Amino acid sequence: MSRIKTSVSLYSLQYQYMNGKMNLEDIFRYMKELGVEGIEILPDQMLRGAPMLSEEIYKEWNRLVEKYDLGLACADVFLNTNLYKNRELTKRECVELIKKEIVMAHNLGFKVLRLVSRVPSWILEPCLKTAEKCDVSMCIEIHGGLAFGVKKTEDFLAEMIRLNSPYIGIVPDASIFCRRVPRIMDEYCRQVCSTNEELIGYVSEVFVQGSDLFALGEGRGLDMDPKLKSLIKDPGKDLFYASNVNGYENCDVSCLDPYVKYIKHFHFKLFEITEDGTEYSIDYKEILEYLHKHNYDGYVATEYEGNRWILPGVEIPEKEQVEKHQALLKKYLIEIQG
Amino acid sequence: MFDSNVFIEGSCHNATENGKIIGYEMQTHITYYRGIPLSMINFVEVEVDGEKVSREQIRFTSDNIDWFTLDEMETVAEIKWDYGMPATVRVLQEGGLSKGTHTVRLTVCTRTAYIPFPLEGNRTREVTIS
Repeated sequence: MSRIKTSVSLYSLQYQYMNGKMNLEDIFRYMKELGVEGIEILPDQMLRGAPMLSEEIYKEWNRLVEKYDLGLACADVFLNTNLYKNRELTKRECVELIKKEIVMAHNLGFKVLRLVSRVPSWILEPCLKTAEKCDVSMCIEIHGGLAFGVKKTEDFLAEMIRLNSPYIGIVPDASIFCRRVPRIMDEYCRQVCSTNEELIGYVSEVFVQGSDLFALGEGRGLDMDPKLKSLIKDPGKDLFYASNVNGYENCDVSCLDPYVKYIKHFHFKLFEITEDGTEYSIDYKEILEYLHKHNYDGYVATEYEGNRWILPGVEIPEKEQVEKHQALLKKYLIEIQG
Repeated sequence: MFDSNVFIEGSCHNATENGKIIGYEMQTHITYYRGIPLSMINFVEVEVDGEKVSREQIRFTSDNIDWFTLDEMETVAEIKWDYGMPATVRVLQEGGLSKGTHTVRLTVCTRTAYIPFPLEGNRTREVTIS
């Protein structure tokens, strides 16, 4: 039996936070009101000084966790390999940074650490003892455009299989299961960048045919799909769109088959809940049914990223989108899990 | 992509030290969705009334404690610019901006760990100095 739990990545409410409309406690309270079971956080986003948090910050965090009684789904961390302008960090420096992140996640109460795509596989073995001691799993994000077929991700997966530890896993992102490109991205690029219609139309057609621009480009060892490239008529208007579409893949859910036992958390990317209450690009029911079939016992997290495609001057509907998304997930989970 | 984070409305004014106007300053949020050490700020640019300010005139603080030149910031790995915390960009210019309205454009560019291109954001505001 699966036990799929709902969660929200607080990333979804980043503008509420940045613009001072909601502080961390407001967000915790809001999550509780929505009936969300767990939360995910980017410590670098909402916890000052991360990963070296002050006692004061830990104290406040513990107070909020206790008061609002929310599950702690996942801490999303990054590796600043380009911390300096003139060089990449050494292996030793990278390992030490990841260890700090593991210790911080443990101190905050998280058991899953999401490592951003492109974190090198060679950090795993030297960090494993720290992960075991802290009871925290190191999980690579499998994100559209940076997923299967990308060397750094494949290296990570191979190392994960070689080390075969319960403390190494994956966090798939639903951006690899886009059946259509987000129309809000089309509209944003149309209005803000004046991207040409032929290019936008071609991309839509590729998705209708069951493929995507990563598969036709980088997935085939090319820098870009040749047809896509030929439709970039004015780079100033078209390149932004042509580069961004790489981040939306149209994979079959069965691509997760070899890695199912490594799934520790799942990002349910959200671009736009439409008028009928479903998401424009992603069919979450298909993914939830897959996870149910494989007895997944973990969280799925709303990760609202439509925020970046809201037209200038228009209020970002973060709360509205999160609420609608959670309602959709709850409906599906009742249908699937009872 | 992060243009809306840049140049907080109403934040630009002349800066005074020891009773003397030493320049002007403005506040901005980070052009990213998370906090990063100051060494990962690729550059900051200011343009006033169509004229670019020289890099040497710019000073930056993320916490109102430590101020840096852009060259100095390249090695500042221990102090972060936290998300949600406005930083101050100051331009050293004796007398500051003259009274009246100016068109001020601020650009902030950060490096990120996994996105292959730097994240640049900019915003132009009409600023009135009274």
